[in-house]
Amino acid sequence: MKKITVIVRNLPMNTRRNAEALRMSVGLTLREDKVTVIFLDDGVYSATQTKPELINLKPLTKEFEVLSMLKCTLLVDRLSMEKRGISNLLGNVMPVQRDEIVKTITESDIVIPF
Amino acid sequence: MAVELDLKGEVCPYTFVKTKLKLEELESGEELCVTFDHAPAVENVPRSLKNEGHKIMGIEQKGEHLWIVRIRKA
Amino acid sequence: MKLGILLTTSPENENTSTVISISSAAREQGHDVSIFLMYDGVYNIQKKEFTDLIEKGVNIAVCAFNVEQRNIARVDGILFGSQYDHACIAGEVDRFISFG
Repeated sequence: MKKITVIVRNLPMNTRRNAEALRMSVGLTLREDKVTVIFLDDGVYSATQTKPELINLKPLTKEFEVLSMLKCTLLVDRLSMEKRGISNLLGNVMPVQRDEIVKTITESDIVIPF
Repeated sequence: MAVELDLKGEVCPYTFVKTKLKLEELESGEELCVTFDHAPAVENVPRSLKNEGHKIMGIEQKGEHLWIVRIRKA
Repeated sequence: MKLGILLTTSPENENTSTVISISSAAREQGHDVSIFLMYDGVYNIQKKEFTDLIEKGVNIAVCAFNVEQRNIARVDGILFGSQYDHACIAGEVDRFISFG
């Protein structure tokens, strides 16, 4: 079993990248590897309560539901949140200190910045 | 009587994830009939399931974008 | 050694030529190379220099869902697979590099 970490760090509303990163993360669980998703820098906006449907984008509800169901760890970088004044995180993600983010990345077998 | 699973409207990899989770509820040798309307899933889900050791009993096209895949759990 | 590569950008990005160079060099040294293309990375199958990697013995798989979304024609020698295939590559390789 490998530890795979996916890092989401883009602004969510002008790209499908973040949604695709989450879809990929779901796929990566299929061989019983341990998948962790980290929301870092502007990527933290993807882990907040937003209404993308107002600009005709699909919400990421399903991606988050399935990732939680598959017991993927979803971490949000507190420092990135503080810099942006973000507090309205989704229920199934966990805000952690930068040290924890660094530890997760360094202990991973595979790191995929998406 | 085979267990049925309707995955219309689902795309990859949710098609495989949900099929796999359903199979986990079944006993070895039981059959599962899954309905797909996502063409790539009809090619890929059976191939991936075979790789996981399950047996594909048949793939039936029911309409232009509708297929039923019959699986026997390993 | 088994090398896995994920490419998620389209061919105008410099990632494409980097992936071609790394894969070719790895094959010349006798390593196994498997590439998975998804998101805009699937556009690389339209680039000859990229598909030439097949002849060099590089395994290429794409996310068929992304290919279908972009209405791209299939190419012989490439596996039109799924995220499951990506998980298999990630699970099997000794080293994995991501280009996004």
